[in-house]
Amino acid sequence: MTDGPTDTVATGTSCHACGESVGEVDQFCESCGAPLREQEAMVAVEPLATDRSNPPPGSNVARACSCGAEIDSDGYCTACGLRAPSERDHFSEQPAPDVAFVCDRGIVHARNEDAAALGVAEHHVVLVVCDGVSNAFDSDVASLAAACAARDVLTEADGSKSSSPAAVVEHWTDLHHDAAVAAQREAAATAAGVPAGENPPSSTYVAAVIDSGVLIAAWIGDSRCYWLPDVGPALQVSVDDSWATVQVNQGTAREVAEAGPQAHAITRWLGIDSPGGAPSTTSIALDGPGWVLVCSDGLWNYCSSAPNVAALLEQHVAVIGDDPLQLAGALCQWANDQGGHDNVTVALARVSGDVAADPDLDPTPRSA
Amino acid sequence: MAEWKTEVFENEYLAADATDVHAIVSISCSGAGAAGQSGAAAEIIIVDTSGSMSSPPTKISSVRVAAAAAIDEIADGTYFAVIAGDNAAHVVTSMTVADARSRDAAKAAVRGLDASGGTAIGSWLNAATQLFGTVEAAQRHAILLTDGKNETERDSVLQQAVQGAQGVFQCDCRGVGADWDVNELRGIASALLGTVDIIAEPEQMADDFRAVMRASRGRGVADATLRVWSPQGAEVEFVRQVAPTIEDLTDRAQQTGPLVREFPTGSWGDESRDYHVSVRVPAKQLGAEQLVARVQLVVADEVVGQGLVKAVWSDDATLTTRINPAVAHYTGQTELASAIQEGLAAKAAGDDATATLKLGRAAKLAAETGDDAATNRLKRVVDIEDPETGTVRLKAKVSKLDEMALDTASTKTTRVR
Repeated sequence: MTDGPTDTVATGTSCHACGESVGEVDQFCESCGAPLREQEAMVAVEPLATDRSNPPPGSNVARACSCGAEIDSDGYCTACGLRAPSERDHFSEQPAPDVAFVCDRGIVHARNEDAAALGVAEHHVVLVVCDGVSNAFDSDVASLAAACAARDVLTEADGSKSSSPAAVVEHWTDLHHDAAVAAQREAAATAAGVPAGENPPSSTYVAAVIDSGVLIAAWIGDSRCYWLPDVGPALQVSVDDSWATVQVNQGTAREVAEAGPQAHAITRWLGIDSPGGAPSTTSIALDGPGWVLVCSDGLWNYCSSAPNVAALLEQHVAVIGDDPLQLAGALCQWANDQGGHDNVTVALARVSGDVAADPDLDPTPRSA
Repeated sequence: MAEWKTEVFENEYLAADATDVHAIVSISCSGAGAAGQSGAAAEIIIVDTSGSMSSPPTKISSVRVAAAAAIDEIADGTYFAVIAGDNAAHVVTSMTVADARSRDAAKAAVRGLDASGGTAIGSWLNAATQLFGTVEAAQRHAILLTDGKNETERDSVLQQAVQGAQGVFQCDCRGVGADWDVNELRGIASALLGTVDIIAEPEQMADDFRAVMRASRGRGVADATLRVWSPQGAEVEFVRQVAPTIEDLTDRAQQTGPLVREFPTGSWGDESRDYHVSVRVPAKQLGAEQLVARVQLVVADEVVGQGLVKAVWSDDATLTTRINPAVAHYTGQTELASAIQEGLAAKAAGDDATATLKLGRAAKLAAETGDDAATNRLKRVVDIEDPETGTVRLKAKVSKLDEMALDTASTKTTRVR
């Protein structure tokens, strides 16, 4: 690793954030409060502008450590040396009142390699979650790039012209393929800077589109999409590309397979060393009000089956109401309370159930 | 302007409950320019003219030639002086500014040097300290040559003289022949931020002096300080220069702030130096990341290079069990130097069993770290039967010069392959 002689950043005489003139020795801008010596720390969090309509993150970079001392320009506490939390460690979005995600480092991992991105178009909603594979170089960069790329493809696409569920599914299945190609391209591109001997970055992928009362999901790896209706049985819509799934298909009980030592070995992923293949896709008619929940294994490690996830969500709704940002944050916190052994991402979309859909749509996954 | 590059080599991943962080911080300088560019430079040539320098007479005649060669390497405008040492110091040429005329005068003076009297190195160093004090110079360097032990004065006089010279000038030390004390000269050179080497044959002296003076002339960065910050609750176990030579700096620390220690590094030319920093911190929870040392090089109150040493606690054994190759290499090289010095000391004390064990360990480490030069020097003192197990036999007949060469070079390290 290389750390250049860059500690003493020239501050100039104007604030880089608001342009107001500042004193040469000022630590923070008198006008807007922006840290004047944190240019490097800001670079590290810059890629988090997942939603280009939002103000760039960095505006609330921690200025004081939990021990009370100042944070140095290199992002470490000047007294106790602990790394100041970065924007990448915990971030969230709520592009519309009924859609939000929270993405959190968890407790045990040093980096947050999960990522998520959301899109809200006139007639459809997009949720994407990617879980960067730990032990691989720059997986946090790969997962964020992949999530944003897929979100862009799916959000910028027009909704289905026909409201016939079959037409909606066909329309989005094609677009899911395009989105996964874009995500794979971005994830693979991040391998360019990987030093020899390091594993190239890789990531899981799950994308969900809600359009005309239909949920169309696509995935590669073991990040999941659930449909949790207010009334009726909850469903895990995606099927993990994992060793555990292989075991379950061979007759092992799900609880046993998911607790096994190989449970988290995924059989498909994004990245330059991806085994390839189009995403698995499936669709389901949303025939009433409920929640679409898209998450990384940081959540489902502690709560896997759809009925349990539904019950967990219900408990939290009963306490804090139905704001998806609050709920996603509460579920991340719940995962951390269970030990936080992995990064955790929860994306939620509230479905009102106003649009009648064809109840005959088969929720069975199909591979393309 | 000098350009600086700093690199850190470490495995920052610590297992749960692990507390010790090791890192190699490599600092390199390019475009250093010439000595004297940031304020005048001063040089003093200190040569032993004790009675033993006349046996064989090639020693004193080589001193005349080598001192003249050194004088020729001194750039115009540099202050310089020449001291001849025996029971006391004799100023042959007092501090003067180098030009063609003053160099010629000094060379004429050294041609008249004769050998007589004893060896009182402390008095020579005191004279140098005093002469350096007569001029305003930003960097001060001396070369000291002796052929014997410090016999004519008490050791405490020498130690006081070394202390008095610290911070005043840097000193490269050379021993000619086989009658000087490697430990003694190494101690002086180390304290005065200089090198130590053996000149086995008097005829090699002039070339060696030339090389020393050229290197000194190329040190355009007059003075640099290594500054190490470590967090509250941390213990800096050691700070050690590990390349190009091993120098333990730990005890030279000056506490300049509650969390900051500074170590003098002297002047720099176009070169690279590696430092091994070991810090002990209380273990943190899994997932926590802590800066355990901020290692900076400071020139004229300006930070010119910085390396960050970090710790990240992880439960991933594939990350935490890796040893950084640079850390492993220099740990081996440091142990190699100790094994050689301890082995030779045991041999000198007649403890052949310990000597065989230590020098065997040295042979093994030299092979492991790919230090072929050390292996070759060892082979002149021991027969290496199996470098993998460190099995050696002390040679029946060993030249004193070969033993001293092995000892002198023990702190020279090779770079990571």
